[in-house]
Amino acid sequence: MKLIINNPPPYGGKLIKNIDKKEHELKGVPFYDIKPEIDKKSGAPIRNVYREIISICYGFFSPLDRFMTREDVDFVLNQRRLPNGYIFPLPIIFDVDKDEIKKMQLREGDRLYLRLKGKPFAYIEVEEMWEFNPEEIAVKTFGTPEKNSDALKKPLDEKHPGFSIYRNMSGFAIAGKVYIINEPKFKEPYNRFWYPPEMSREEFSRRNWRTVIAHQTRNVPHTGHEHLMKEAAFMGDIEPCRGILVNAIVGAKRIGDFVDEAILEGHEAVNKYGYIKPERHMVTFTLWDMRYGAPLESLLHGIIRQNMGCTHHMFGRDHAAAGDYFDPYSTQTLWTKGLPSYGFDAPPYDVEKGLEIRPVNVQEFFYCPRCNEITYSETCGHNEAQRFSGSFVRGLIAEGIKPPSVIFRPEVYDVIVKWWRVFGYPFVNKRYLMQKEEELEVEVE
Amino acid sequence: MTYKIGLVLDEERLKLIKGTELEKEIKDLFGGALKMIDVEITEEQAKKLMHLFPRVRIDARGYVEETPIAFRKALFKSVLSNGNKKEALEVILSDENILKEIKDMASKEDEYIPPP
Repeated sequence: MKLIINNPPPYGGKLIKNIDKKEHELKGVPFYDIKPEIDKKSGAPIRNVYREIISICYGFFSPLDRFMTREDVDFVLNQRRLPNGYIFPLPIIFDVDKDEIKKMQLREGDRLYLRLKGKPFAYIEVEEMWEFNPEEIAVKTFGTPEKNSDALKKPLDEKHPGFSIYRNMSGFAIAGKVYIINEPKFKEPYNRFWYPPEMSREEFSRRNWRTVIAHQTRNVPHTGHEHLMKEAAFMGDIEPCRGILVNAIVGAKRIGDFVDEAILEGHEAVNKYGYIKPERHMVTFTLWDMRYGAPLESLLHGIIRQNMGCTHHMFGRDHAAAGDYFDPYSTQTLWTKGLPSYGFDAPPYDVEKGLEIRPVNVQEFFYCPRCNEITYSETCGHNEAQRFSGSFVRGLIAEGIKPPSVIFRPEVYDVIVKWWRVFGYPFVNKRYLMQKEEELEVEVE
Repeated sequence: MTYKIGLVLDEERLKLIKGTELEKEIKDLFGGALKMIDVEITEEQAKKLMHLFPRVRIDARGYVEETPIAFRKALFKSVLSNGNKKEALEVILSDENILKEIKDMASKEDEYIPPP
């Protein structure tokens, strides 16, 4: 394993940029309208494929430049790699309404134009149209406790949001390279945090950040997160990391989550009010409907953040997990020893065609009354931890209690209140969920 | 196995507790920035709560989280009149009328919580 002291190259060697701004003759062309995927049981939106199109076309998922063929998916499910040998942990499938496509008499080799919010948005070069069993893909995507005993504690089911995404797919997919023809404009406040890989790399260079540590989030930060970022930034191969990149995953939400607007501006408040210097801290996001695949998701996070130019990535306990399906340390195990059942006999930076980004595995921050401060589980010698989770903080806020500043910065609370006034609710509720998926994060002109 | 529900005490609740047996159970959190009492509950009660309110979950500390505000208010009231013991929660869980009232209020809570 070599030292890493400079921004790594994009994964696979080059950043994908599938933006085709040529004039397109669209008169009379049949369009396929992008719609949110709805959970058949709850009726709630759980995914919108437009987010995957954006993330592919702006290079977040490089070297992936397309929606997967049957062969691609087989490679991913069997080896967690693309046919070209590069790691890719999860199937990226463009499932469509078969009847609608049949009516269009679409053939392999054709170009299918896609519309978002009623406006031309993208096209896909149809390489293959293929059928699949959504239940089977859902099970194979995450594995089973029998086959993946080094990571999974119990079989996934419909309560798991990632499993539901695959299980609710239509069973008919279009594969091929996808291109954006009409770049959408991000709405306020998303536009301030939009740094696709090409831009984040330029920004790192402008800031002279050689070494950058990524912080994955889908939460408004409490001081535990803040300390985690501060301490992790002192790690690095031969020097402390120069920059901290907060990269929020913005996508379909779950009831009770913090709203995306507050997550982004809450992290921004951490640097705006000097809790971490703005020169060392930057807030961005990636569009992705989380699959909550814990170690598998962490591989995708590694790919995204290496593409953005990060040298290191923080991984905490229970990284990118939902419920208690995965061993809470499975991500940290993957990034230190590997997870053979998913095809990794060694960590993902120590295998052929592996990633270059390095892990920084972190434990837990809590309040210690003896230290009288926020402290780290691996260094505090007192046995009096007072833990505070995101759900604890949400409980306080819901009861109208302002969280104490030792665990939650007042400026971050102000951000929550700001969006609470906008949406009439401090967290994601059904109304926000429906409105978000209807309006999306972008405008298309 | 037992779990806990942490009832955070605001000024109003602290006033109501003052001079009662419950006062001895107040815990200081985060250097005195928050005050709380823990209500111990059984595994069976925790399961029932998770069944009644699907968002309820048990966190790594063994605390039952994400209960509706209406439920926490009812539990505080019950603890105040029945003492901090198993029965305080049982009074709520065994009364269909109270549960219905909590569920109705909880569904309104899902729609709107007035901002501070």
